[in-house]
Amino acid sequence: MCGIVGYVGERNAAPIIVEGLKCLEYRGYDSFGLAVADGTATDGGGRLTVIKKQGRISDAGSEVSLAVGNIGIGHTRWATHGVPSDVNAHPHTDCTGDIAVVHNGIIENYAELKKALIAEGHVFKSETDTEVIAHLLEKFRNAAAEKGLSGTDMVDFAVKNLMDTLEGSFALLILIRGFNGLIAIKRFSPLVLGIGDDELFASSDMTPILEHTQKILLLEDNDYAYLMPDGIRLFSYPSAKTVEREVKTVDWDVESAKKGGYEYFMEKEIFEQPAVFVNSFRQKIDDGAVSVLKKASSITVVACGSSYHAGLIFRYLMEKYCKIPVRVEIASEFLNFTTAKDTAVIAVTQSGETADTLAALRHAKANGCPVFAVTNVLGSSVTRIADYVLYTRAGPEISVAATKSFIAQCAVLLRIVSIIGKGIFEKELFEIYPVLEETLLFDPADASAVCKDAENIFYVGRGVYYPISLEGALKMKEITYIHAEGCAAGELKHGPFSLLTPKTPVVAVCTKDDAYPVMISNIKEMKARGAPVIAIGSGGDADLKEIADIFIPLPRSKNICEVISATIILQMIAYNTAVLLGRDVDKPRNLAKSVTVI
Amino acid sequence: MQAVILAGGEGQRVRPLTHSQPKVMIPVANRPILDYVIESVEKCGINEIIVVAGYRKEQVIRYLNDLDTGVSVVVQKKQLGVFDALRCAKDLIKGDFLLIPGDNYIDSESLSRLKAERNAMLTAEHPYPSNYGVVSVSGGMVKGISEKPALAESMTVSTGCFSLTPDIFNYPATCMIPDIITDMAKNGRPIRAVPANRWHDAIYAWDLLKMNRMALEMVKPSISGNVSKSASITGHVSIGSGTVISPYAVVAGDVVIGENSYIGPHTCIMPGTSIGSRVRVEPFTYVENAILMDDSSVGSHCRITDSVIAKGTKLGSNVAVEPSYSAVEVDGHFFKAFFGSVVGDNSTVAPFTVLKHCVIGNSSAVENGRIIEGFLPDGSIVR
Repeated sequence: MCGIVGYVGERNAAPIIVEGLKCLEYRGYDSFGLAVADGTATDGGGRLTVIKKQGRISDAGSEVSLAVGNIGIGHTRWATHGVPSDVNAHPHTDCTGDIAVVHNGIIENYAELKKALIAEGHVFKSETDTEVIAHLLEKFRNAAAEKGLSGTDMVDFAVKNLMDTLEGSFALLILIRGFNGLIAIKRFSPLVLGIGDDELFASSDMTPILEHTQKILLLEDNDYAYLMPDGIRLFSYPSAKTVEREVKTVDWDVESAKKGGYEYFMEKEIFEQPAVFVNSFRQKIDDGAVSVLKKASSITVVACGSSYHAGLIFRYLMEKYCKIPVRVEIASEFLNFTTAKDTAVIAVTQSGETADTLAALRHAKANGCPVFAVTNVLGSSVTRIADYVLYTRAGPEISVAATKSFIAQCAVLLRIVSIIGKGIFEKELFEIYPVLEETLLFDPADASAVCKDAENIFYVGRGVYYPISLEGALKMKEITYIHAEGCAAGELKHGPFSLLTPKTPVVAVCTKDDAYPVMISNIKEMKARGAPVIAIGSGGDADLKEIADIFIPLPRSKNICEVISATIILQMIAYNTAVLLGRDVDKPRNLAKSVTVI
Repeated sequence: MQAVILAGGEGQRVRPLTHSQPKVMIPVANRPILDYVIESVEKCGINEIIVVAGYRKEQVIRYLNDLDTGVSVVVQKKQLGVFDALRCAKDLIKGDFLLIPGDNYIDSESLSRLKAERNAMLTAEHPYPSNYGVVSVSGGMVKGISEKPALAESMTVSTGCFSLTPDIFNYPATCMIPDIITDMAKNGRPIRAVPANRWHDAIYAWDLLKMNRMALEMVKPSISGNVSKSASITGHVSIGSGTVISPYAVVAGDVVIGENSYIGPHTCIMPGTSIGSRVRVEPFTYVENAILMDDSSVGSHCRITDSVIAKGTKLGSNVAVEPSYSAVEVDGHFFKAFFGSVVGDNSTVAPFTVLKHCVIGNSSAVENGRIIEGFLPDGSIVR
């Protein structure tokens, strides 16, 4: 969904911007660009230098070092309007080249605005929605000059009119020739500021900033700020009053955003999971939140992707052990259904910026429901909407495919089950650490060898292992590009069975729980159709070992721990298969980390 | 100057403790052995460190990523010996360098003296040299190294720490370090022998207890967590955050206890003991000269001394360890060693078991209280 970075300080901006964009690559990687201004130039600011092209910033050559200046903005793109190309890459400039804009979000009324601007004589170079912003600023700047406004008054005028005019979501960083600094504007898209020693940073998220400082200032919607060499001036729209926002010191350190000796971030994040699960599970949950949940007649979870699967796991366990009805809806579909007023709605979103999930939560809140958020990012948009926030403690997750954030979400949701269920699972899950460490010793070579040559893989499970199977299939398809489908084991023979051949591997989770006997006969039925079966089961299960082509024993533990260790096994199989196929594991094609568009 | 630290080998001789981690990651005084090596290297003034990882590299890399200093990691895909491991780092080496094993303790002062020489090695005197590379020295120069000889020529052994030049890469890939050093001596380019000050290698699992005691002497005392007013904490003690020390527990240093552990009432944690994180020690238990690794637990009324209890292992109540100085047989060799017990990862030991100079493998279960002696392989079940 694009990442933007800005810098104002004494150092040369371009290298800092480039390194920052590399940190944000997981937000989008089909094109990149930057613009710098030399604030120290004595003619009131020299021309802006803009360099942009299609392709990955990590492949960028030395051309970016041609930009010299101490104020800069940069952008890494995940295309929404306009194909990836040099001309559609950001920053976008106006007709004069004196204004450069980088944008994360979508301008919903861009089409009418573009039409009107063209009619007024503006010349557009790209197909993007963002370009209208540059031309609008040009228009308002000219209007301000006609009124006799100059300097910051001119900028105030332009920004206010811009925010009046635009509809949609935007996090903007703007350079205007002659303005000694950069302008940051936030509405609905994420934007955080970083305060260093005599230097200031702005970025879509904290990751690029942590390299330089741990002091983060979170902007609210409709804030705009002037980042200048002598400090930050922060205002709120539409009042134009000066506002103060809290500066937090963040404990995510820069190492958590680096992969060190691992080949991919995903590998690193998989191996962080034992500590991540324990840290997320052990945290205290606000009593107010607990009592609201206990009082609710039902719970609704809204989420997308892996977070949706975490919600399903929550549903199985909450219904079984706490007897509270739980509904789980895909966020993008949520608005199609009715929501009872007394249902507690929980939004699960790693980034806290997932547009579909935010929309669903806003709708629920407007409906009068108590709203909760389970998220990994401090101060993200979802935390502004929710009445109660439960943070997962996973640290920054750089790889696009969710691994540790998913396990952390499960931990937090299981903690809720445990508290409402009067302490159920508490003892087992407090002892899960060595079980997960043991799980990480698993060598996925045999299973991945089978999967890598397949065109279609099925993942099956019963009960709580059904959402685990959905998650396993999602991981596989995301990063290997092999089509994989999760299916409730009982549903297989109502249709999908016809797809089973000796060429379609089936990954089945079959632990020694209540569903075991039925799963064993399901597996035998699959084997009878010639499908190769990779079975994940409880350690020591000799019968399953006999039946399956590949048997993967989980470390011996309580059933609830097996749920988590099975998930990790499926992640490792997907990861290893992707590596064998030579995929770009951390940045799969067509995907981005945080889907901030609907 | 750079340092290449070898962390790729499993360390088979300390089995069963290498199930989930290589020897370099085994904790003494709650820090991986590798941590002491990196600390000594940094203290002697080297900040460019290359670590060669191999066996269980993901766990090693995870630990290295958490360090404050950046280290470069290279991966040795197949464990083919020290020279092969060194060659994996070849492309990163810019000049003269130190080559240091990651699984031995070496002090920074010795490394400083080594660093000052070009083509040298650290030697030490050892009472049982046949477990090591025996070095013959003449006039301060090394004449040759013979690896684990049946009959040792001298009491001087190789610490595995070398100061080398990139010329060493001229030797063919299949060579072994002792042969290379001997060859250099034969061809008029002998390396210098520099005596080490403090060096310690744990050969077998029980040897870790001595290294543990030595490491405990260097621990900075610090008390966190929840310590009961009636608990008695004396001597050199470090207790991590979240740990509960119950009423009337006695902790007599040198002792280190990790985070989120539980030390029950009326327990005695005596000198020479390292207890990891999330460990549970139940009331009236006596622990001395022992290593209890993360997530392990000891039942009530136990006596655990001279023992290494690995990760996730659970000892029932009334388990007693009877240490002795008795014969062990390893790889066809018989010798005597003093210890109480070594129990691998994720094992369970039933109440009223007596562990009498035994080594129990990983994922084992002693299901009924018995006297356990000798070596039990991984996955043993004793009924």
